[in-house]
Amino acid sequence: MKTRLKNLKEYILDKKHHQFRRTPEELELQHLNETFQKENVHPVKRSAICLSELFNKENPVILPEEKIVFTRTITAIPDIYTPFEWDEIKKHHYIHERGTVCNISPDYEYTLKNGLEARKEEIRQRFEGGGVDEEGVAFLNAAFDCITALQGLIGKYAEYALSIGETETAEILQTIKTKGAGSFREALQLLRVLHFSIWEASNYHNTFGRFDQYMYPYYVNDIRNGVLTEEEAFDLLEEFFLVCNKDSDLYPGMQQGDNGQSLVLGGRSVSGEYLFNNLSKMCLKASYELEMIDPKINIRVDKDTPAEVYEMGSKLTKIGLGFPQYSNDDIVIPGLIRKGYSIEDASDYVVAACWEFIIPKVAMDIPNIDAVSLIECVTDHLKELNTCKDYNSFYHLVEKEICNRVECICSRHRNLYMIPSPMMSVLMDGTIERARDISEGSKYNNYGIHGTGIATAVDSLVAIKKYYFEEKKFDYETFISALSNNFRGEEELQHLLRKEAPKMGQDDDDVDLIAKDLLNSFDQALSDKTNERGGIYRAGTGTAMYYIFHSNHLGATPDGRKAGEVIPANYSPSLFIKHKGPLSVIKSFTKQDLTNVINGGPLTLEFDQSVFRNEESIAKLGMLVRTFIHLGGHQLQLNTVSRDKLLDAKANPDNYRNLIVRVWGWSGYFVELDECYQNHVIERIKFGT
Amino acid sequence: MKEAIIFSIEEFAIHDGPGIRTTIFLKGCPLRCVWCHNPEGISPEPQFLDKKDERVLCGYKIDSDTLAAQVLKNTDIYSFNKGGITLTGGEPLLQADFLIEFLEKVQKVHIAIETSGHASTSVFGKVISLVDLVLFDVKHMDPVLHQRYTGVSNRLILKNLEYLCQSQKDFIIRIPLIPGVNDTEKNMLDLLAVIKEVKSLLRVELLRYHQTAGAKYTMIGKKYDPPFDTEASPHIYNVFEKHNIKTMIL
Repeated sequence: MKTRLKNLKEYILDKKHHQFRRTPEELELQHLNETFQKENVHPVKRSAICLSELFNKENPVILPEEKIVFTRTITAIPDIYTPFEWDEIKKHHYIHERGTVCNISPDYEYTLKNGLEARKEEIRQRFEGGGVDEEGVAFLNAAFDCITALQGLIGKYAEYALSIGETETAEILQTIKTKGAGSFREALQLLRVLHFSIWEASNYHNTFGRFDQYMYPYYVNDIRNGVLTEEEAFDLLEEFFLVCNKDSDLYPGMQQGDNGQSLVLGGRSVSGEYLFNNLSKMCLKASYELEMIDPKINIRVDKDTPAEVYEMGSKLTKIGLGFPQYSNDDIVIPGLIRKGYSIEDASDYVVAACWEFIIPKVAMDIPNIDAVSLIECVTDHLKELNTCKDYNSFYHLVEKEICNRVECICSRHRNLYMIPSPMMSVLMDGTIERARDISEGSKYNNYGIHGTGIATAVDSLVAIKKYYFEEKKFDYETFISALSNNFRGEEELQHLLRKEAPKMGQDDDDVDLIAKDLLNSFDQALSDKTNERGGIYRAGTGTAMYYIFHSNHLGATPDGRKAGEVIPANYSPSLFIKHKGPLSVIKSFTKQDLTNVINGGPLTLEFDQSVFRNEESIAKLGMLVRTFIHLGGHQLQLNTVSRDKLLDAKANPDNYRNLIVRVWGWSGYFVELDECYQNHVIERIKFGT
Repeated sequence: MKEAIIFSIEEFAIHDGPGIRTTIFLKGCPLRCVWCHNPEGISPEPQFLDKKDERVLCGYKIDSDTLAAQVLKNTDIYSFNKGGITLTGGEPLLQADFLIEFLEKVQKVHIAIETSGHASTSVFGKVISLVDLVLFDVKHMDPVLHQRYTGVSNRLILKNLEYLCQSQKDFIIRIPLIPGVNDTEKNMLDLLAVIKEVKSLLRVELLRYHQTAGAKYTMIGKKYDPPFDTEASPHIYNVFEKHNIKTMIL
C-alpha cells in the first residue's frame, strides 16, 4: 500500500474526519417535517426538498492527499414526517423496518456511462411525451430537483478543490457534474458521489452490485490508452475501498458494520461466459491489503470456475475479514428463474446487504420482509405426539403449521408504505418511464422470508423419529415433561438427545433428507402466496438477527437444547453438534433442493486461524469451497477466528479495536457488537482446534 | 475380520499429504518421545480424557469393513481434489495385521501413511507396498540420543529408511525440530547423507516444536516435563534445499 493511502487509512481509523461533522440540530434542519406538515407538502417533494437542504448544508471536505472525494459531514438524516404523521401512516400501513427504500441494488452503470444530465434529459422528454398524471408530475419534478441539488454539491466540491489547489480533482468533479465518466478515476469518483447521495437521502443497505463488471470498461480503457498503469489503477481502487469505510458508522443497521455495502465479483453471463476479470482480482487484492470491513466481497462461482479463483478468495479468507462469501450460479440462477425472473435478470443477480439474492437495476424486492421460526413449527405440536401413529403423521402437523404461520405472516404485509425516494429512483430503471417513485414498485416486487432454526428443527425431528417412534426409548409423558421442565431431572434423556442423537452436519442421509423435506415444505407453503404488488414470496435459509430473537423465547427443544440457548445463524449446524469435520458438514448441507430456497442464506464454516499456515493450506481451503459448489451448495461464508483472541477481546476491548468477525451476513468490528452477538460468534463450532 | 483401536478420524486434515484428506489416528505407539504432543495416542488401550467440562473416552474398536465404508463414503471428494486418506497414530505399524487387511479394502483411494518406521522390515515393506505415499518421521540419526529421547533404538528405523529410499515409493521426510535435542547441523547432515539423490523423495518437512505440545498431558493424568527448554526456538539448518530437496518449514 502506498504511503499516501496508509496515512489516509490511519486518518480514517483515528476518526479524525469526525471533526467536520455536525448534527441536523446544529444546522437547524430538525424542523423540516413540521414545516412540511403545516404546508401540507407532497411526500415525494418533501424527500427532494430534504435532500436538497442537506446537500446545501454539506461543507466540502477533502482529506489529506485524497483523490476520490466526498465526505459526509451531517450526522443524521431528518425525518420528512412528524411523529403525528407517522402515527397516522402506521394506522393504515405496513411499515418495513424504517419505512425507507433499502437493500436494493441501483443501476450505477447507466449514470456512470451517460452522466447525471442524461437522466435529466430523460425527465424532460417524459414530460414532453405527455400523459403524466399529477402524481407523476410530482415525482418527475422531485427526481429532477434531486439531480440538480446533487449537481450543486458536486459544483461546490469542485470550487473548493480548486481553491485548495487540487486542480485535477476539480476538473474531474466538473466533468462528472453533468457528463458520464471518461476514465477509471472519473468513474470511481462518480460512483462515490452516487453512493453518497443515496445514503444522504436516507436509503440504507445500499449495495454496490457487480462492481467488477460495470467498472471494467473504464479500467481497461485507461490501461490500454496508457492513461493509467496497473499500479495506478490499483491505487485508485484501493482508495475507493478505503473511503467506503469513511462514513459507514453513520449508516443505519442492526449493529455497527451491518451497513450492506456488499460488492459482487465474477459470475456467469447469459451466454455462459465466466466474467471474472483482472479488475475482480484487483478487488480481492485491495481488500486483502486494506483489511477493513467494507466493501464486503461476494464471489459468484459455478462448477466451471477455475481453482485459481478459489485460491485467491481463500487468501482473503485467511486474514479473517469474514469474506469473500461465495454463491453458486448453478443453483441461484435456475432458482431465480423458477421464481419468475427472466433469464437475463436472473443471470445478473447480485447479493443484497447480507446474502439475499436480488436483481440490480430493476427489482424493488424486499428480501428480508419477515421470518418464520421453523423450529417453533415443530415445538408447537409436540403435545400432539400421542395422537400421531407414526413420524409421517407428526411431520404432517409440522407441515401444516408452516403453512399456517406463513399464511399469517403474509397477511401482515398489506398496504405497505415506503417513504418516496426520488434520488434512488434516479438510479433505478423504468421509474422515469412509469413516472413513479421506486418506493411504489418496479419490474419485480417480490418478498423474501427467512427461515430460522433449520438445523434445530431438523435435529429435533430426527430425534423424535428415531427415539420416540422407531426405538420407543421414552414415552410421551416423560418426553413432554422433560421438555417443559427444561430437562431438570432428565439429564440422561437430554444427553441422549443432545450428544448421542444424529444431527444435521454429520453426513447422515436420514437427517439430511428430513432437512430436504423441511425446506421443500417451506417453499411449498409460499408457492401460492402473492403480495399486493403482484410479487411472489421466496423462501430462504437466512436468519438475519432472528436467530437471537427467535431463541430468546424458545423453550427446551427435542434436540437436547435447553431453553434460552441460542440456535444457529443461517444455514448452519447446531452449536453443540459432535462434528465429524467440514467434509461431513458440507455434504449434509448440500443434499437438499437448494434451488427452492433462493432467498439465500449461507452455510457458515469457521476455522481456527492457526489452520492456514502456508500457501498449501490456503489452496486446500479453496478446494473445500470448490467441492461445496460442486456438491450443489447455494451459498457459503467462511470465518477464520481465534477463540482465545475473541475471549480476550471481550475482556479487553481496547486492545482489539480492529478485530473483525463475520456476524450473520456481514463483517463488523467484534468489540462494537452487542454481547449476545459476540457470544454467538465465540460459541460456534470451529474446525482445526 | 481384524479390528483396530483408533482414537480419532479427522476430516480435512490439512498437513497430512496432498489434496483434501481424512486422517485416521491408530492408537498405541512403541516410542516414548519426550516432546510427544499426542500423548493420548501412546497407550494401545482406550482411556479416559478429562477435558474441561467432561470426561470422554479416547479410543474405540472398529473393524476394517466399518472403517473402510466410512472413508470410502468420501471417495469422490478425495479424487476430485487429488487427496485421499492418511493413517497415523500413535504408530500405525503397531497394528500391522489390521492395517494390511484395511489397506487392501481401500485401494481405490490415495493412501498416505505417517510412520516412525519402527517395525520389522517385513511388516514395513508389506505396508508400504499397499500405500501411495509415506510420511517418514525422523527424530534422530544418532543411536544413543535416539534411545535417550524416544526410548527406543533407531536401528530398525534407519534400516527401514534405507529400504524406503530404495523402494521407489514416494515419500516425505518429517523432522520435528526440538530445541537442543535434534536441531543440530550434524543431525541434518547425517540425514541428508542417507536421502540425497533419492528420486522418490518429494520433500522434507521441518516441523517446529510448538509450545502447546504439552496441553493434553493433564487430560490423561500425566505431567509434561520434557528435559529441554520448551521456550527456546529450534535452530533451523536447512541443509536440504542446497541439494535441491524441496523443504518446507511448518
